[in-house]
Amino acid sequence: MVKRYTSQAYKAADDMVFGKSVYPVKSELGLEVGAGYVTAEVNYAPRPEAGVSKEKLVSEYRRLTTDILARAVQIGFPAISLETEHVEQMTNNPTWGGEIAHVQKTILEEYHEEYGIKCGLRHTPGDIREDRDLLALIGPKYDKLMESFEAVADGGADFLSIETMGGKEILDYSVLRNDVPGFIYSIGCLGGMDMEMIWTDIRKIADKKGRIAAGDTDCAQANTAMFIAGGLLDKNLAHTLAIIARTIAASRTLVGYEAGAQGPGKDCGYENTIVKSITGCPIAQEGKTATCAHADVMGNLTMQVCDLWSNESVEYHGEFGGTSVQCWSQTLSMDAALMNVATETGNAKLLRDMFMLSDRYRDPQGYILAYDNAYKIGSAIVKDGNDLYLRAKNAAIETVNLLTAADNKKLVMSKFELNALADAKAALEALTDETDTFMSDCLEKYKAEEPRFKPEANYKF
Amino acid sequence: MDIDPSKILVRYNVQKEKAQTPEELAAEMYPKEEPARTIAAAIFDGEEDDVIEGLEKAIEGGADAIKLIDDVLMPGMKIVTDLYDQGVIFLPNVMMSADAMLEGIEFCKDQSGSVPKPKGKVVCHVAEGDVHDIGKTIVAALLRAAGYEVVDLGRDVPVDEVIAAVKKESPMMVTGTALMTTTMYAFKEINDRLLESGMKVPFQCGGGAVNQDFVTTYELGIYGEEAADAPKMAAAILSGKGLAQLKEMFHKH
Repeated sequence: MVKRYTSQAYKAADDMVFGKSVYPVKSELGLEVGAGYVTAEVNYAPRPEAGVSKEKLVSEYRRLTTDILARAVQIGFPAISLETEHVEQMTNNPTWGGEIAHVQKTILEEYHEEYGIKCGLRHTPGDIREDRDLLALIGPKYDKLMESFEAVADGGADFLSIETMGGKEILDYSVLRNDVPGFIYSIGCLGGMDMEMIWTDIRKIADKKGRIAAGDTDCAQANTAMFIAGGLLDKNLAHTLAIIARTIAASRTLVGYEAGAQGPGKDCGYENTIVKSITGCPIAQEGKTATCAHADVMGNLTMQVCDLWSNESVEYHGEFGGTSVQCWSQTLSMDAALMNVATETGNAKLLRDMFMLSDRYRDPQGYILAYDNAYKIGSAIVKDGNDLYLRAKNAAIETVNLLTAADNKKLVMSKFELNALADAKAALEALTDETDTFMSDCLEKYKAEEPRFKPEANYKF
Repeated sequence: MDIDPSKILVRYNVQKEKAQTPEELAAEMYPKEEPARTIAAAIFDGEEDDVIEGLEKAIEGGADAIKLIDDVLMPGMKIVTDLYDQGVIFLPNVMMSADAMLEGIEFCKDQSGSVPKPKGKVVCHVAEGDVHDIGKTIVAALLRAAGYEVVDLGRDVPVDEVIAAVKKESPMMVTGTALMTTTMYAFKEINDRLLESGMKVPFQCGGGAVNQDFVTTYELGIYGEEAADAPKMAAAILSGKGLAQLKEMFHKH
């Protein structure tokens, strides 16, 4: 059993600011994350044709890593961090991922040695725990995944991360049916159970190899909801429901820290402001700089308390201003420079609030993730921190309460969003306070409705 | 610190919202006669049991079960998809209505012992190496809801399997979805193998990392930006549109 969070690391929301965390972490090449300054975390994806062989992939990562470091020293940035999210070949063949980590780390070491630039390297193996048609969270694929973590740790990755998929089979079903109790079950309960298993083992590997078990993100579920919700004119999912999925995801992502993660949390975990309020661990975030990967409604707000500032992912290719990774790493680093200037001049909280206000009223997601409201969601989670169901439910209820109480002249919601919110409220009010009852009811319901749900095999029911 | 956001933000979606509720708009579109009206309302509400109850009554009253599919269930579902296309209702409503409508079709098939003729057949798959399948699930549901037979090959589908399915099923269209840049490369191979085999079937591609620039690099590829493009593309094929015309219609950038 892991030790659950039942209190928050920060006494007040206003204590949170970008670049600073309660528990900073340090990479091998001198990068301290959350120790008083913000650093760019550059993300990238190989070109489609690079996946055909190990040699081509290694070459692709060698080129793009060199490009990023060359640009960083050309413009004079003091620090840079890289994240390599594996394509499936790199995780399914652990030696591929390990070799790429080694090649990248060697380049970082060369630049660190020659210029003194502080560097970090995160590797994020893909969650390969799936068979053709079903999740396969436990078994040979799990063992292969752990081999991949060992290999990238051996190769030199400082920060170990993953985007786990526990509960996704139910979320994919429930998100297309406005099923809020299904969100709680899939993300909060099933996802949380899987997180506890996998992060306990990742921490063991990190300790054995002298690396840092960094953090997870609910990309597979809360980001699925956010992407389906899309822009303000899109008609695929109410943004009020997308933010409920998100706040439930904070309870789930928190489990990684309870099982040993230390940060920096993963960039696409938009729940990370909530998580940071509880753990005090550093976080990566993305926003306007991730428009190369997807279009979402929060561009500046997500910078409010970030420690690494990321671009999510960009395909490696040429642009007018250099290669794509050079252009985006420069943009990220310039943003980081602005935040660091604010810190040095005593204006960090002013800039934080400006970032936050530029998106706070754009939609329900920005409103709830604004750091003051995010802190309140954190409080609701730790109130019943020892119970995965109750704390996820608390997060959902607090979200509904905050949205309902919002100034409707500032946070303007469409009738559709308000109707979906009212339906969600009714569904939440009908939920039991008994965890065992909820779990057994959901088990029965989803076994009947979703044939891909294999509770015994994947969650040890 | 706080702000009046009206100077930095315009909620166009709220400005454009229709005065009538979705329920009121749907009610105006329901057929006048019974039991079609009740069944259409049950489809709109996504109430499977009410759809079946309405069908039972209709059959007891002498209606032909297979004719009910074309005359009642499909028009009922069309109200839902039309309202979705108009931006009045959202995707989960369509999915729940489709569930109810498809259950109704199964009921009618069981009652009659025969199978209705679909508008056409579509092979759907997720690229080899890719397990992200929610986009494909939506595409398949929208196609079924529009009256097409879907041969769903699932996710992480090897190229050989797609080719074999196309040879066996002779579909009017193939769909491929992918989230990752490296997995979508399989689409080019599928295109080449289809052409080698002389099968010039439109190949709709979309999802995560897939973009129009990539899809236009292979002859059969037609870019589908939204899942809702799938039934529209199928309808365009039925109306006689060829590859060039489909690209003209659906390539937006």
